[in-house]
Amino acid sequence: MKEKDGYIDCPQQQVILYVEKEDGKYEPIQTGSYITKNFLDDYELKRRHLEESLKKKVQSGEVSPIYYYMVLEDLTLSELSARAGMRKGKVKKHLESAHFNAIPQEILKLYADVFNITVPDMLKLLMTTTDDSVNTNTGS
Amino acid sequence: MSTIPYRHKMAAHCESGAVTSLLNNAGLDITEPLVFGISSGIFFGYFHKMKSFAFPTFIVRNEPGSIRNNLSKRLGIKFHTEKFHTPDEGMDRLDELLEKNIPVAVQVDFFYMDYLPEWERVHINVHFIVVVGKAGSKYIVSDSYFPNLVELESASLRKARFAGGSMSPKGFLFYPEYIPKEIDYKKAILKGTKKACFNMLRIPLPFIGIKGIRLFAKKVVEWPAFARDTEHLSHEIMKINILLEDQGTGGAGFRFMYATFLQQASAILDKPEWSGLSKEMMEIGDGWREISLFASRIGKNRELGPDRLKELGSMLMERAEVEERFFRRLKNSI
Repeated sequence: MKEKDGYIDCPQQQVILYVEKEDGKYEPIQTGSYITKNFLDDYELKRRHLEESLKKKVQSGEVSPIYYYMVLEDLTLSELSARAGMRKGKVKKHLESAHFNAIPQEILKLYADVFNITVPDMLKLLMTTTDDSVNTNTGS
Repeated sequence: MSTIPYRHKMAAHCESGAVTSLLNNAGLDITEPLVFGISSGIFFGYFHKMKSFAFPTFIVRNEPGSIRNNLSKRLGIKFHTEKFHTPDEGMDRLDELLEKNIPVAVQVDFFYMDYLPEWERVHINVHFIVVVGKAGSKYIVSDSYFPNLVELESASLRKARFAGGSMSPKGFLFYPEYIPKEIDYKKAILKGTKKACFNMLRIPLPFIGIKGIRLFAKKVVEWPAFARDTEHLSHEIMKINILLEDQGTGGAGFRFMYATFLQQASAILDKPEWSGLSKEMMEIGDGWREISLFASRIGKNRELGPDRLKELGSMLMERAEVEERFFRRLKNSI
């Protein structure tokens, strides 16, 4: 790749790209992310749709808030159970709405830590609201 | 505790970047492409179904940790490494090392690096950062993917260092403790290149190396079966661009950085034919870059029918063909 083709104006996400300079030497340049520059709006749209559809499933009792965050954060059942330190069978039950209310606070906290949210963030999902935006990165 | 004087520099990749940066700050003048090439960083692996991945995926570099290990073996550099049983032990030890003015690389789950934008962050336990200080409840961090030194909350660093799951970091940390005065780069370059050729051509597994690129080319048409809906498929197809360009590769799935390694190696070894191979690798990278752009375009336009995916598969198959020829020639030139 020639240096002149490597520059992308995207201050939100900088990357290092190795390019061919005019003198033929290959060197790194600091530039912007192509996909963030051009398609961030598309990512956000898909993310919003996914949040909305998962939220509907939570509120209709189809799945639990733990399922919501597991899908949103792209985790598999195996990965979530290993991260939360629980057996897969137990986590599988916790993904169902019917079992969610029986989960003790300390177990919810284990999940919340993995998802980097608070337990109230998780519980808020159960409430029907007109505000569909869900912040998954509020910290705990 | 204050910040250790540390020259921060962005790098293409987190592990080769952290290793290079620690060595540079310890006085060794070595480039990231040399670190990457000597440690046989170039790689390909395709994973169609795996417990820890929610969707088929691929990797374009060798196993995490190999960059440090291979470099250490080939250059005679010794890194001090530690893992911990509990987060308290791991955090106390980090503080102790910072008190001694030792910058320390730590392995973390990328998801908790909250100074990066939300859309960049995914749960992956093999990100490497260098911790260079502490101010109150925050650590001062040098991350190859961020333009400046940056602060990270102690609670976030703790979670990130002790995240469970696949390739769990267990608080892993390292720093260089011995750098030889004389280093035989020539021998190390040849050894690293030989191993890279072996990894790409001869590992007898159908999903690794050139065979892995071919498998990816064949299997990408099956991706719709794994997707929840069109938007999910679009997201996963566009992730091809992210994995090749944005997740710390220096562009084109490390191929541009490998071309740079070969150019630098050609001068060190006084092997003019490697200069030609370096140019060829840069062109191979251009082809990968086309794949990145194609994937992001069809994903955005939701053109995800069998014809488009077959087209994507053909582009990947072509990369397999050219890389096979390339690595055979590189192997024969050693």
